[in-house]
Amino acid sequence: MVYLRIILQYAAVLAVALSLNFLLPRIAPGEPIDFLLPEDVLAEMSPEDEARVMREFGLDKPILVQFGDYVAGVFSGDLGTSVSYGMPVWDIVFDRLPWTLLLMGWALAISAFLGSALGVMAARWRGGAFDVGSLVAIIFVGSAPPFWVAMLLITLFAANLGWLPSFGAAPLAAIPGSWEWIKGVGIRLIMPVTALALVQTANILLTARSAMQIAMGQDYVTFARAKGAGEGRVFRKHAFRNALLPIYTNVMIGIGNLVGGALVIETVFAYPGIGSLIVEGVGARDYNLLQGVFLLATLGVVIANLIADLGYPLLDPRARRA
Amino acid sequence: MNTRFLSLAAAMLLTMGHGAAAQDIRAGESGNAVPPAIFMSAEDHQGPVEAEELTLGMWVKAGNVTTYTIGNSWNDWVLWLMYDKLREPSPYVGKAEDWLATSIEQVSDDATVWEITLREGVTWHDGTEFTAEDVAFTFEYYREGPANRWTHHASSVPRMVGIEVLDKYKVRLTSEKPMPNFDRITATDLPIIQKAQWEGVEEPRSFTEIGIGTGPYKLVDYEADRYYRFEANEDYWRGVPTVKKLNLVMIKDPQTMFTALKTGEIDGAARPVPPELVLQWQNDPDLELISAPTLWGVWLDINVAREPFDDRDLRRAITMAIDPTPMLDRVVLGQGKSGASSWPHVDSFWTKPDLAAPNDPEGAKALLDELGYVDTDGDGVRETPEGEPLVWDLKIASNQPLFLRAAEIVGQQLGEIGVNVEVASMDPGALAELWRTREFDLRIADITPHGIADQDMLIILYRGDAGREMVVDEEKKAIVDRWLEAQTREERLRISYELQDYQTKYPNRVMLWYPESVFAYRWDSYDNYAPSAGYGIFHKYSFLPEEVREGTVDPLIMESN
Repeated sequence: MVYLRIILQYAAVLAVALSLNFLLPRIAPGEPIDFLLPEDVLAEMSPEDEARVMREFGLDKPILVQFGDYVAGVFSGDLGTSVSYGMPVWDIVFDRLPWTLLLMGWALAISAFLGSALGVMAARWRGGAFDVGSLVAIIFVGSAPPFWVAMLLITLFAANLGWLPSFGAAPLAAIPGSWEWIKGVGIRLIMPVTALALVQTANILLTARSAMQIAMGQDYVTFARAKGAGEGRVFRKHAFRNALLPIYTNVMIGIGNLVGGALVIETVFAYPGIGSLIVEGVGARDYNLLQGVFLLATLGVVIANLIADLGYPLLDPRARRA
Repeated sequence: MNTRFLSLAAAMLLTMGHGAAAQDIRAGESGNAVPPAIFMSAEDHQGPVEAEELTLGMWVKAGNVTTYTIGNSWNDWVLWLMYDKLREPSPYVGKAEDWLATSIEQVSDDATVWEITLREGVTWHDGTEFTAEDVAFTFEYYREGPANRWTHHASSVPRMVGIEVLDKYKVRLTSEKPMPNFDRITATDLPIIQKAQWEGVEEPRSFTEIGIGTGPYKLVDYEADRYYRFEANEDYWRGVPTVKKLNLVMIKDPQTMFTALKTGEIDGAARPVPPELVLQWQNDPDLELISAPTLWGVWLDINVAREPFDDRDLRRAITMAIDPTPMLDRVVLGQGKSGASSWPHVDSFWTKPDLAAPNDPEGAKALLDELGYVDTDGDGVRETPEGEPLVWDLKIASNQPLFLRAAEIVGQQLGEIGVNVEVASMDPGALAELWRTREFDLRIADITPHGIADQDMLIILYRGDAGREMVVDEEKKAIVDRWLEAQTREERLRISYELQDYQTKYPNRVMLWYPESVFAYRWDSYDNYAPSAGYGIFHKYSFLPEEVREGTVDPLIMESN
């Protein structure tokens, strides 16, 4: 019953998201034709010529018909043709998706591990040099705009030290799948993943530190100590397990933040993922492309939250009874 | 840069006072000439003139490299790697060399009928033969099909009414109005597409096959907006290209692109180097810099579809009040040319040599007084004769920080004649829509060489304006009508000069500056780039054997010269 309710909730969220995905690009000022052709061409185009271009992409239809086509396309797997690329939206999205998954997957894993570990350690030695040092450092890095962090990394590791390549996702010269290619992909991940993970690490660290501090002040911790449990055991078995829930929630919510961060990071590093595709789509008012990408992002966040919801009962027995 | 040949050519040109160019100029053609490109590095290295593989950074998306996915003068050079024109290099310069055509002849006295004889033995990238059917098809497709950056050459200026294949290598074209510059403009701008590939394609913007051209490079693999891999066309009729494999990688962020160039990840950056980096890189031992004319411009667009800008004398007062010179110094740090020379581009072959916009703020004030735009309430802002204060918005795109500084200067200069200008920076999308729906007063925008260095485009821009103007400017319309009926190159140029004078006096657009474009490359990877006006140094002519380049590239001189 709990699971059915959760699934119905997410279905409703998805329906609202689909409508917003359709409406948002259209609410923004400007139309695809404003970007499809240069001004000197638009200058002499007749209304008939303009209508012809709009017809090519189905943008001449009434808005409700377009919405109907979009919804039907979502369920039939046809999201139309990108105005700016002239290619089916799914083809473009699926070309880009693996790169973003790779980037975000690593960023999420690293930020989750590092943020949790540092946060727990800061709470463990609260008020000490490690706590103060990690807090100051992470607040500084976490407050920095991701693009600035990215540029600093490029300046230091690509321009000055020459250790890492400054752009792209894979070496052009290598054969895909070869060792050289895999190595090239790995080395090109380092800076974008670092830039993306740093900001997220700060969020998780602060949550983990706070959750651990709260847990350490609870009665059950006092009780455990009173029973004679060792400090390590109290920390690991009693405090940390209870602090896991907010950390886990923060990590899953972080997926949405990472999508936002990817817009900037992928553009700066010329990384061919979904983030840079959104930037491109917004710049070109490419409705079909944006609908497709937003749909994917929405699904990603919804699925992540669904997994989070479904995961709570596993982490916390109290959630099973809720 | 292996500048020996080019420098020699430049030296000859300079010492003869443009004599060589003058020999090329036929009656009725402008004496205006594109200036030579300038080698800007401290040291001139002697790097390789051929390369096995080269990687260049690009920043403007090129789709699948067809005439429907390319339309911007920052990416058309990618198209030209694959496609050829009847004559080359471009409509912007005072020279044209037969390319896919071996002759283009005017066969009617009124310049409406032309016959094109095509080069035999040219093959498409798929190995099939290039014939007159392809040329005829190209004109038919562009006349009837969806609009793109090039279709006006068949559907508008000029409009083709007869397209006949006379034999396998000969085509006859008949236009509605005379086209005395067909061989200098249309033939040097229109890419020829393959009939076999495009016949039956009704939605060319959604066409995703790899394009088949006759050009020096074949596109072998691409991922739109990420990379393009080209391989040399070994059968290219003009000779085997000097670089065997050419990779173009998309890097939109300028800092990332220039870092990649500095670290050697790319061999050349096909976007202009910012002024501050030019100074820093002039002594860099790994890089060489060339300032090459790209013929771009930045102008102030006046919305003639809105009152009171329908008053041409008011527009005259605006141009008299604006002095573009401070913008050159304060906005682009002197790297470029002032817009005081008005437009078309000061370096365009078709521009009247002594064209100059008036700068006379006192005259502007007197003119406004005379027209009845006076400050009746003493608040420092003039009112229209109907009592509306002259408070105008000036819109700029938020992704163009330089335009903000220029807008402030324009506002200050117009303020001095009693006009209150409110500068607003907006999202480029919002601004583009305002431009299309004509809901703005003034706007600063850049304009491509296609827009300001091509005589036919004067008429196309006029037509666009005429469709929106509140009142028909009969005097200007009469000039354009005469231009359209002119049957000789001489007459066209003379009338074009009249139109340039008229639009300088009563402008719809006021030119602000012409930016200088400096390009950088790693000389140790490839050191055989050549400038070609309108394209910079990254274009197909830089990859052709030196002995066949002469008619398509421009002189290059050392900065110290």
